[in-house]
Amino acid sequence: MTQTLKGRRVLVVEDESLVAMLLETILEDMGCTPVGPAGTIEEGLAMVADPASLDAALLDVNVAGRQVFPVADALTARGVPFVFSTGYGESGLPDAWRGHATVQKPFTENAIREALMKAMGVENV
Amino acid sequence: MTSIETDLAAALNASPNAYFIVGPELKFVWANPAYLAVTQRTAAELIGTPVFEAFDAGPGLEGPESSRRLRASFEKVFATGARNDIPVLHYAIPLPGPDGTLAYEDRYWSVIHTPLLRDGVVEHVLQYAIDITELENLRRSATLEAAAPALHAIDAIVGGALLSGARSVQADNARLETERQGLMDLFMQAPGFVAVLTGPDHVFQIHNSAYAQLIGHRDISGKPIGEALPEVQGQGYFEFLDSVYATGEPYEGRASRVQLQRTPDAPLESRFLDFIYQPIRDARGAVAGIFVQGHDVTGTVRSAERQKLMIDELNHRVKNTLATVQSIAVQTARSHVDPATFAEGFQARLMALSHTHNLLTRSHWEGADLGAILEHETEAHGSHRVTLNGPPVALEPAAALSLGMIFHELATNAAKYGALSAPAGRVLVDWSVANQTRPVLTLTWREIGGPPVAPPERRGFGSRLIERNVRHDLAGAVKLDYASDGFNAEFSVPLDRERSS
Repeated sequence: MTQTLKGRRVLVVEDESLVAMLLETILEDMGCTPVGPAGTIEEGLAMVADPASLDAALLDVNVAGRQVFPVADALTARGVPFVFSTGYGESGLPDAWRGHATVQKPFTENAIREALMKAMGVENV
Repeated sequence: MTSIETDLAAALNASPNAYFIVGPELKFVWANPAYLAVTQRTAAELIGTPVFEAFDAGPGLEGPESSRRLRASFEKVFATGARNDIPVLHYAIPLPGPDGTLAYEDRYWSVIHTPLLRDGVVEHVLQYAIDITELENLRRSATLEAAAPALHAIDAIVGGALLSGARSVQADNARLETERQGLMDLFMQAPGFVAVLTGPDHVFQIHNSAYAQLIGHRDISGKPIGEALPEVQGQGYFEFLDSVYATGEPYEGRASRVQLQRTPDAPLESRFLDFIYQPIRDARGAVAGIFVQGHDVTGTVRSAERQKLMIDELNHRVKNTLATVQSIAVQTARSHVDPATFAEGFQARLMALSHTHNLLTRSHWEGADLGAILEHETEAHGSHRVTLNGPPVALEPAAALSLGMIFHELATNAAKYGALSAPAGRVLVDWSVANQTRPVLTLTWREIGGPPVAPPERRGFGSRLIERNVRHDLAGAVKLDYASDGFNAEFSVPLDRERSS
């Protein structure tokens, strides 16, 4: 097990508070600092625009009835790696994002850790 | 009678042309001397007699069909009030022979039926019939000698073979016309859409009513398809038609999407069609046109799309619900060291979620009533101890699920530490909806008669769940007040479907 993720600030975009609370618990258990959660696209965009540092993000694909991709674009522009979380499976991602790091609901801590590390380009050593 | 009418009647009587007038039930009401002469009847014989009783078009194959055409023409004039012509009618009439017995004699007529109106209603029909037997016999013998000219596509498909076969037999155009008309009727009434296109530019020769409906009843007859349906340009269909015309190979489309101008000036409308373009060949085997036939399957395609959406949505909801349950399990485990109390707390939360699902299922997931959710979450503690007071409030599914969980946490907390833990304690829940343009639900949960209250030493899962749910999921506000004489909570929740951000 690595300490790579320790102290990382991870933005959570998720419209259901119970699911957000679960992600925060999992992130805290991994030593990360959860940022947010953002419950709408607008909140997510505002948090990405905030100058405070961000190391990674977990993005629910369907946020309050809308798709999260504007937030994904903003993160890409800022150079912040991110992981999609979805109940639809990978088929729920449009072609432009297919193959991007994704975790499926319900989550395991391992799946989230591996997806974050894949997105951040760090190796488990 | 006015003098003009008298003059007209006199003119008709004096005319060398045959006229008669029928009334209701197609009975003769008047016939001029020319008509009586050509039919060799007397006015006394005909007046009051139905036309088809007096003249039945004679024996032979075409007799009944000629009668039908004549009757149809009369009926059309009575029904529409518009003039109707039969350019050539083969109608034999019985004439007395040299020995005095009646014998049918073949006659061809050109017939014009004119409505005679009274107060805007067709009261009588005037027939003007010209005996064209001589002309028609001449024309027929001339036509039969000449080679048939290149046929239109429709003739090739419904009449061509019959026509050429008939050439060697007898002049029988009337029967061919009848058969052709029968096939045309089949086309016109077919439930699927049918059109026949002629020539390399795909000129509409015929199209049936289903086709007319598909394209919004535009006037397309005689027009090339590019001119008749300009909006289809660029959608690939004209290219398929060109290819069928050039190669003679049919083309079949399945659930194929086309954008059509079905209403003038309205946006284009998408329809999905199953169709086939079938080449029509002339007697020499060359492609003369294209037979278009198919069905509008838009309804089927749309319901398949809806079903796929529903399955995706169901999968999304199931996975999301599993994540919610996972969260409840993880959070509940954090606050219970003892597996037995964990199981109890976890199950109670699961049941709260399940109750709200039941309510939503009953309304086909359209929503649930606030009072019903409150009743569900508090009834285990005795209805006499929990007073619910407020108007009916329809909650959308997401809000119903959130509030179900919230009331469960409040009721559980009241039973463990609050008013419902003491015999005399009670809970009063009051709510109202303010601002009807952007409705906001205001709800207070007030506990009275319980043990003295002290704020909890640490915020448990219950209170975190309440605060986060209201703020995050409901975009509302909540104030939890651990007053010493009883816990109370004040909620303010917008009820618009759109979340404010």
